[in-house]
Amino acid sequence: MTDQKWTALAKKIEPSWGPERNRSVRVGLEQRTTLRRRAIGALAMLATLALVVGAAAAFIRLRTPAPSAAASLGPASAAPGGAAPEAVVVTRLSPETLLEPLRDRHGRGFELRAGGARFTAPHDAEHPFVVVASGVVVEDIGTTFTVQYLPNDKLEIAVEEGRVKVRAQGTETDVAAGGRLEVAIAPVSPEKPSHAPALPATSAWRPLAERGQYSEAHTALAKAGPNAVRDETADLLLAADVARLGGFPAEAVQYLERVVRGHAKDPRSGLAAFTLGRVLLDELGRPAEATEAFARARAAGGPLAEDALAREVEAASRAGDSSRSGELAREYQRLYPNGRRARAVSRFGGLD
Amino acid sequence: MLPKPHLWLAAPSSDGIGREPVTFELLFSRYSGYVAGLAARLLGSGDSELDDVVQDVFWLASRRIEKIRDLVQARGWLATVTTRVVSRRLLRRRFRALFHASPVSRDVPARGATAEEHAMLARLYEVLEKLPTDQRLAWSLRYLEGEPLDAVAAACGCSLATAKRRVAAAKNVIDEVFRDD
Repeated sequence: MTDQKWTALAKKIEPSWGPERNRSVRVGLEQRTTLRRRAIGALAMLATLALVVGAAAAFIRLRTPAPSAAASLGPASAAPGGAAPEAVVVTRLSPETLLEPLRDRHGRGFELRAGGARFTAPHDAEHPFVVVASGVVVEDIGTTFTVQYLPNDKLEIAVEEGRVKVRAQGTETDVAAGGRLEVAIAPVSPEKPSHAPALPATSAWRPLAERGQYSEAHTALAKAGPNAVRDETADLLLAADVARLGGFPAEAVQYLERVVRGHAKDPRSGLAAFTLGRVLLDELGRPAEATEAFARARAAGGPLAEDALAREVEAASRAGDSSRSGELAREYQRLYPNGRRARAVSRFGGLD
Repeated sequence: MLPKPHLWLAAPSSDGIGREPVTFELLFSRYSGYVAGLAARLLGSGDSELDDVVQDVFWLASRRIEKIRDLVQARGWLATVTTRVVSRRLLRRRFRALFHASPVSRDVPARGATAEEHAMLARLYEVLEKLPTDQRLAWSLRYLEGEPLDAVAAACGCSLATAKRRVAAAKNVIDEVFRDD
């Protein structure tokens, strides 16, 4: 077949193309144009959003003041019971910063008298890190945060990582990463230490406790009598702290037991049970009762469950109940194969 | 009858005489039928794919309309774009054929062709289907469209030598198949 014949034959290939098909193609093109416009709009919106988020992140980063001096403070002494807590990093934000370690906190508590400071505290459920400033108590839940006095009689708490709990004037506020809280305070005088020897009034135990002056708060509470503590979880826990940290751990038991038994549905009852277990085991040498308290803390679940089970193994072992400690240790290994306390649990559970 | 313009881009005329401002409306109304016919011959399948090919070609045209100087250039440009769109479609069709055994429809829209010519076209496209896509398109442009080799090279986006080689390779196969016809 000659090449010219192919050309002639191909001329007969003509589709039936008319106005109807033209219209259909035009409709398709218009739809494509609309889709393209929408896609461009969506992309522009995404780009704008990304810019706004980037700008906000940059703004937050710029607002964090550069540290003027840094100090890494390890624990002053081994914390009672259990492993020693990890080092806390405290950075003073200005030369006038006045910072004093709190007594009985084993390096995990400070009182801020003036200026501001940035704290990085590894979380330790047994030894919560606390900063007290003019009656405002900031308790970390594994975090990096800044506390500083503002010129207009306010205290600023800014959280970079993790979460903190701020207790002030009877209220409790959680501040999460990226969050910032301003709390009104009474004017402070850096020259006058807050634990001045002035005798507290009989009803003053609560503000003293919130400032971390536990010995003075204990004296005030003893004078005020047992009715001075309200039957509320927050008040009972504060009173337990006063007793515990004021050097009278046996008195803390009654408050903690009231939370555990009388406020079992409160989400803080697990924490109360755990603290009770620690007091009984570490400070009062009553491991059998501590075992029960840790079992309650474990049953409450939450982030303390693993620590509670580990301490339960230890308490059972110290109470001489080796079969129970072994059983609990195996339970720990099953639930937390890579648990933080695996080594101690194996030792107390007799699994080594 | 006006001589058939080739596919290459004509040199821009310096005086602007004979130029008609190119708008999308004008381009579409004048060349949609041409693009559909060219696509039908290059694809060699039924009518069903043509609307999509025409839409693809004019979608690209609508986005580059400002680069098309005049309607003479436009025809060549549209032929090149159609060749590329068809090439992609043929490659996709071949890829699909690896997974689906369904044969491609050979119902080539050839009105006025005799039964014998229909049979010959069906056989031709069967042979073309088995050729490499670049050889198929080069041969189709050369012998079905009657384009000169340099225009084939321009439309296929290759050198003149490559276009010659592709056309020759396809021609050998087709001549062999249709030797006795």
